[in-house]
Order: sequence, then structure tokens, then C-alpha cells
Amino acid sequence: MSTEILVKHLPNDVGGRMTDHPPIDWTDHPMLSWEQRCHALLDVLDYHKIVNTEEKRRGTEAIGSEMVSKLTYYERWIVSAFNILLQKGVLTPTEIAEKTLEVASRYGVKL
Amino acid sequence: MAIIHYNPARFAVGDILKIVERYPVGHYRVPIYMRGKQVTVTEVIGKYIDPETEAFGKNAGDKMWCYHVGIKQTDLWSDYTGRQQDRLIIEVFESWLEPVKN
Amino acid sequence: MKENKEPSKKAHAPAQNDPPPGYYEILEISVRELLTEKRFITADEFRHQLEVLDSRSPALGAQLVVRAWVDPAFKQRLLDDSVAAALEFGIDQYDDTDFVVLENTEKVHNLICCTLCSCYPRAVLGLAPAWYKSPVYRSRAVREPRMVLKEFGTVVPDDVEILVSDSTANLRYMVLPRRPEGTEHYSEEQLKAIVTRDCMIGVALPRV
Repeated sequence: MSTEILVKHLPNDVGGRMTDHPPIDWTDHPMLSWEQRCHALLDVLDYHKIVNTEEKRRGTEAIGSEMVSKLTYYERWIVSAFNILLQKGVLTPTEIAEKTLEVASRYGVKL
Repeated sequence: MAIIHYNPARFAVGDILKIVERYPVGHYRVPIYMRGKQVTVTEVIGKYIDPETEAFGKNAGDKMWCYHVGIKQTDLWSDYTGRQQDRLIIEVFESWLEPVKN
Repeated sequence: MKENKEPSKKAHAPAQNDPPPGYYEILEISVRELLTEKRFITADEFRHQLEVLDSRSPALGAQLVVRAWVDPAFKQRLLDDSVAAALEFGIDQYDDTDFVVLENTEKVHNLICCTLCSCYPRAVLGLAPAWYKSPVYRSRAVREPRMVLKEFGTVVPDDVEILVSDSTANLRYMVLPRRPEGTEHYSEEQLKAIVTRDCMIGVALPRV
């Protein structure tokens, strides 16, 4: 089975793809605090061009179709931001590992 | 005499064009559902950084013309069940448009 | 769509009575703190951006719609140069996107979407509803807009064109709905009350 469609057709490119009329969930879902903070953070990163908005978009596509389907909207944003910051050498994997442990222990949460 | 790099818009309102049928890898802003379609220019919007390079860190420098192009829904989807006059408009950068060969 | 945890109150920093942060919230806090410590961003500008986002809501768009309804000269300015017209109300495009108002007429009904991501006129409407960002809406709005509108409860007459705008570049659209009949004696406040977010996306019509 050819997998080339996975390379050529980005997972976010959904226009016209569903032909079986699945229902739209019209319910309003209030945003979580961290999601609002994530949105503000990516706006600030765009202003400085540390991660511009198009890079962020590309990052949310590059994580691949499984993550696109399983992560929520802002979960994809924050993972995308990290990947781009790592690619640019702004952060390192170990810095992230150490900081997330520190934050988790601050909130009494096991990572 | 210095050469001034002048970048006029290649296309104009009313032009009938074709969206190129090609498959970039890595990032694109032309949905697959529009590839290869014949469209009409409805507006010459302006010049912006090409999103395909902006997505990889280009934040300034030369810009590319972007156009509003329209298409009838019945030309876009073979199974369109709405009305004959329904249309769709999308923004497309100049590198993705070519004249229709007659 | 994934289930969300019980949302916390309006306060932005995690507070005492919030549920413990999940993995992605820990990521968000971590990247923000790392970038602030390394002086790529400041805490002040981050807080400022939260305030900017909080200040934008559909009430801003409704102001523009209602003024266009009562003042034909403003309506023309709004259609000719939506960015400048919004600035008359102090509404700036804080993220450098271009803002364009699409007018519904007796011949054309506009519907906006973004099939590739979630481009939305945040400067005048605030943040997008979950359904607008959902793959199902983004897939179906371009292909079967009449069916989608009907499922929402909006019927567009057969002789009216539905024009779908798929935002793929720098333009952000807002629909200017038609002023409904029976509102001739409404005050501006009464008019604003019937201009909902969903009317300015194009899935709904203002209801008398």
C-alpha cells in the first residue's frame, strides 16, 4: 500500500475530505487557562519572530497524522513551539526535561 | 545605472488561470482540493512573504503577490448538491498560478 | 473531539483551587519560564498579550455591524477599507493580519472558514469557537455549505448565492449580515444584541 499520500497530503489539509456528512458538534467549549496562556505566548513569539505564525502552523503539521488526530488544538501548538525552538537551538532537550521536572514537582505532580 | 528590481503583479482581475498541479513537501497553503482547478482572479490582494519560506524562518525581504481567486462550486465538486450559483473564494500566491493554455 | 478537564476560573496563572496541571500545561509553563529566564520574552509583554486577547470579543464586531446598519457612509468606509474603519472604534489588528468585511446582500450570503488551520478575525471577534476549528466544519464548509448551515438551523433561499471564503493567507474575514426587517425602530443597543458571533461567521442570521 503506497504511503506517499502521507507525505504529499498534510494531515491538517481537510477541505472536502469527509464525504459522509459527519455531524458538527456546535457546543461551545470554554478554553482552559493554560490554553489562553498558550495562545498569548505564541502571539508574543510571533511578534519577536522567535517562532513566527507560519512556522508554528508548519510545526503543527509536521508532527504527523497520528498526533494531529490525537492531540487537542493547543496541545499541538505547544508541541510545535517546542520542536521549532529545539530546531533553532533556543532550547535543548535536557533543558526542557529539567524544567518540566521542576515545574511538575512545584505542583506536586508526577511527570 | 543601478538595476531596480521591480515586481509588478503578473495577473489581473478577470484573468482565468489554473492552479498548478504539484506536490510540495514540508509545507503548503494551497489545499489539495484546489490543485489543478481553473479559477478566475477576483482581486489582486497585495504582496506578502511566501508562506512556504516563511514557514522555515524567512521573516523579511522580497514578497510575492497574492490573489483572490474564485470558482463555482459545481466546477470544484462533481457531486455538489447546493445551488448552481454558489461559489468559493480562496487566497493563492502567484507562484501557484499559471495562465490557461488555449 | 477530545474531552477537556473542568475549566478553571478567569485568572490566568494556575491558582490554589485549580486542578493539578496536566502534561501539556506543564509544557506550556516550562517553555514560558525558560524563554523568560533566557530573556527571549518578558513577563510583562506576555501579560500584556493576555490582556489584549481578553479585550477582544464579538461585541467589537457587533459595533461595526450596527454602525454600518445605521450609517451608510460608515458602511461604505467599512467595505472600502475595513482596517481603517475598525480603527475608528479603536480596534486595531494586533497581529498584522489584514481585515476584510464581506457584505451579505439579497443576492449573496457569505460563510467563512479556514480549511488548513483556524484563521479567524480574532481582532474583532475574539478567539474562535471550537467547532470553527474542528476538522468536521473545516472539511464540510467548503464542500456542502448549504447542508452545514441547515444543520445549524439557517436556511439560505435557493436564489441566493452562498459564497464560501477559505482563509489561506493573510486576510481575516468578518461577515456583515443584512439588517433584518422589523428592526427599524430598534436602538443601537437593541441592534447589537441581535448581532451574534455566529452571524459574523455566516452560519447564522440575526434574529428579531
